[in-house]
Amino acid sequence: MGEHSLGEFEELVLLFVAAFNNEAYGVLILENLEKKLEKKVNISAVHVALKRMENKGFVESNYGGITNERGGRRKKYYSITATGKKMLDRQYELRTSIYKEIPKISFGQ
Amino acid sequence: MKVQPPKLIWKFFRWFCRKDYLEEIEGDLVELFEKQYETSPGRARRRFTWSVLRYFRPGFIRSFSPLTNSNTTTMFKNNIKIAWRNLKRQPFFTFLNTFGLAVGMAGTLLIALFIHDELRFDRMFSDADRIYRVNINNRTAGETSDYASVSGPLANVMRADFPQAELITRFKESNSVLLRKDDSQKNVKEEKVVGVDETFFEMFGIRLLQGNEATALLEPRSIVLTSTAVEKHFPDGDAVGKSLTIDNGQAYLVTGIVEDMPKSSFLRDYQVFISLSTYEDAKSIAWNNWSYPTFVKLVPGADPETLHTFLSGVKDNYLIPWAMTFIPGLTVESSRQDEKETGNYMRFGAIAMTDIHLHSPNIEGELNANSDIQNVYILSFIGLFLILLASVNFMNLSTARSMKRAKEVGIRKTLGSSRPGLIKQFLTEAGLVSFISLLLAVAAAALALPYFNELSGKSITIPLAQPGFWLALLLTTLILGLISGSYPAFLMSKFAPHNALKAGGENSLKGGKVRNLLVVFQFAVSIFLIASTLVVFQQLSFIQNKNLGFKKDQVLIIDDADAAGEQLESFKTEVERLSLVESVSLSSYLPTPSDRNGITFFVDDATNTDNAIIIGNWDIDHDYLPTIGLELIAGRNFNPQLKSDSSSLIINESTLQMLGGTAEEAIGRQMTSDFRREDKENAHFMTVIGVVRNFHFESLRNDIDALSLTLGKGANKAIIKLNPGDFSGSIAQIEELWAKVAPGQLFNYYFMDDSFNETYEAEQRLGSIFITFTVLSLFIACLGLFGLAAFNAEKRSKEIGIRKVLGASVGQITYRLSIDFLKLVGFAIVLSIPLAWYAMNQWLQDFSYRIEISWWIFALSALLAVAISILTVSQQSVRAALSNPVKSLKVE
Repeated sequence: MGEHSLGEFEELVLLFVAAFNNEAYGVLILENLEKKLEKKVNISAVHVALKRMENKGFVESNYGGITNERGGRRKKYYSITATGKKMLDRQYELRTSIYKEIPKISFGQ
Repeated sequence: MKVQPPKLIWKFFRWFCRKDYLEEIEGDLVELFEKQYETSPGRARRRFTWSVLRYFRPGFIRSFSPLTNSNTTTMFKNNIKIAWRNLKRQPFFTFLNTFGLAVGMAGTLLIALFIHDELRFDRMFSDADRIYRVNINNRTAGETSDYASVSGPLANVMRADFPQAELITRFKESNSVLLRKDDSQKNVKEEKVVGVDETFFEMFGIRLLQGNEATALLEPRSIVLTSTAVEKHFPDGDAVGKSLTIDNGQAYLVTGIVEDMPKSSFLRDYQVFISLSTYEDAKSIAWNNWSYPTFVKLVPGADPETLHTFLSGVKDNYLIPWAMTFIPGLTVESSRQDEKETGNYMRFGAIAMTDIHLHSPNIEGELNANSDIQNVYILSFIGLFLILLASVNFMNLSTARSMKRAKEVGIRKTLGSSRPGLIKQFLTEAGLVSFISLLLAVAAAALALPYFNELSGKSITIPLAQPGFWLALLLTTLILGLISGSYPAFLMSKFAPHNALKAGGENSLKGGKVRNLLVVFQFAVSIFLIASTLVVFQQLSFIQNKNLGFKKDQVLIIDDADAAGEQLESFKTEVERLSLVESVSLSSYLPTPSDRNGITFFVDDATNTDNAIIIGNWDIDHDYLPTIGLELIAGRNFNPQLKSDSSSLIINESTLQMLGGTAEEAIGRQMTSDFRREDKENAHFMTVIGVVRNFHFESLRNDIDALSLTLGKGANKAIIKLNPGDFSGSIAQIEELWAKVAPGQLFNYYFMDDSFNETYEAEQRLGSIFITFTVLSLFIACLGLFGLAAFNAEKRSKEIGIRKVLGASVGQITYRLSIDFLKLVGFAIVLSIPLAWYAMNQWLQDFSYRIEISWWIFALSALLAVAISILTVSQQSVRAALSNPVKSLKVE
């Protein structure tokens, strides 16, 4: 199988995982996403993205300690892997390089 | 107390979610829920529910398949593997088993398809279960007869006074017609033409390919053609709007094209439909023309009883009032009185259309030949027997070989195999064999189908695309595997390991008795079938060679002779001059399928209804009797010199019986069909001048009906009796003469004995089907016997060796080896012959004229069975007897 691809929503989630490295878990990512995007997101979407990227090897996860919140259930923290970081870098480069190609267009101000 | 998310939803989530994701996702869900609960409990719950539902997707749902390392599947795979190895190890027995089973299954499959086709007869029409046909049951002068066709006015009467009738269609058979296109001189013949009411297409739910169903047959002289007929007459396909000339007379307009009629329906042969309004007599209000088969479709939910009630009143309410208009003194009461005194009656009844094909006899006016539910039963039995024979083979060969596998069973048991486990293994083996046979059988049936269709006169296809067909097939195979596998499995799994493993252990043949019983059963069935086949064929040849009362050989019939018009008489004279021609007659009526006509005669007195008889009436000419070879037992033939003979009449013996008295007394009696006139005393009477010996003009299944012969014109057939000699030369000469008198008209001829044989097509088909499946069953039985004999010889090889060493001859050994099987065959003969005798006697009851079953039929079938089994067994026995004893005794 060739290079794994990265969807738009997945990329956003991955950025948050990188931003809160080792502290990122489902609810945290969800809340930040909702804040930035200014719209409601379902938690399942976040989990779907996380699980997919874990399968692709962009993120890895480990359980945190037992807390008193959430009925004593452990949180699962995600961190970005080297491949994930490379993917993000490539995406970023790709976009900026194409962005630079855009000629200076005046929108008639 | 902490708040909780909706319980049921939560439970659902815990049930379906993957265990490794559960804690994380559940934690996140609860955290979210708790946070939201503070602001809005309702929304928190809704959101929780929604989220849970969103997780219900692949990737988050746990695997529900049973544990992958299950023992059952492993064992099943192992069983299949072992079964396969065992089958491969003994290719000869495997071949016998699969081949026998496949042949049996293929035969049964064909029979099943045939029966299926018979059972769904006429059911393809829309609302078939609401369609009925009106019948008449009539008794005059001690003779009862049934008619499938009724009076024309009945349809109108029902339309007016029987509200439960949704649609009514009358038919009128018109035999063959000649069709000619406008731009052509050539006539083309259509054999199957029928007149129908305009409601025909609507009633049977038939869609026209071109044209309007409702109006196509409204106008007189409209015709609708089937696709086949269109292809024949209008090869370019453009038929609608064209006109066709029928029988060199009037032009008819083609108003529609219809697909060919379904093969499994009583309409199957019809190619041309003519609007009934074409025929003048279809509009008549006279009840004395009984030539309209009438079908009624009841409104949904109507009780068929209402139809029977209505029909039972038809005679009193409509028929008698009509007859009263010309028979003075006739009242409903007086006719009832008559019925009481004479025992005569006329009853209108109805039969469901779906019952016509299998549950009603062939009666006069039938639109197509019917089959018989009895044949379906007979074939079902044969099918069942075939498959039983094949599975008996399987049982026998498996149990006979059981000794070979005794060691295997012993070791398996010692190693801890359970009996159910062993049974499962043997059943798997049986299942595998029957599955392989199934595939072979379907292939064989597909290959044999064209021949079978020819044999049975059907056009059956294997419904390969129907999942139901395969399901039924697989189910049958499974059941068959279980049945034929259960006995060997039961027997073999019983071996005690210490016996089975002991050196040279228990060497007796297990299940010998049951096996013998099964062989007896196989041969009993085979002998039964042989005897039955012989009886069927004997009856057939009896029919074909019976003294029919007329001579059907060397009689050439020219159809559509009326095409010659005025020239017909001169054609007759010319043909008579030919050297090989003995005599020529012109008539439309033949003892083989041809026109039929019934007429009511009043005997002696035109007013006395007591003396009314309904009998057949044929118009013939002076030369008819000698040409057909009818024998006069009293009186004389028509005389061309006597003008008065135009009001003379010749009757047959059945009519004589109705009149009473001897043949001599009948001469000179007066009869009239002219009873409808006002001045009865002037009614035109006919005089009986002769009595002919009864001759079979209907199938020998039936009794000979009453018949009268009168001089008449309008013949549509020329009947030519030839002397032995060069037939083809004479035919060429006759054709030449025909071309002169009727240029452009079809020369359509056949021999009467061919036409006669067609009357017994049904019996002949049954005969061929019988013989085919008899051979098949015998073949299967022999296959089994062959296998057993081979096995027996192998098993007793040491015994044979010792016997030979001690001086036994080859003959003695062969005898010893064969006699055991012959004893079984002997038992089978004793068992099956009384059964066959009883069954065939029952079958023969259907024929008015039948053979006596003689003893030699059974002797012959027994002899055949013995001969075939000796042939089968002896080959193996002789080989065993000839083998070198050193070889068989050397081992061990």
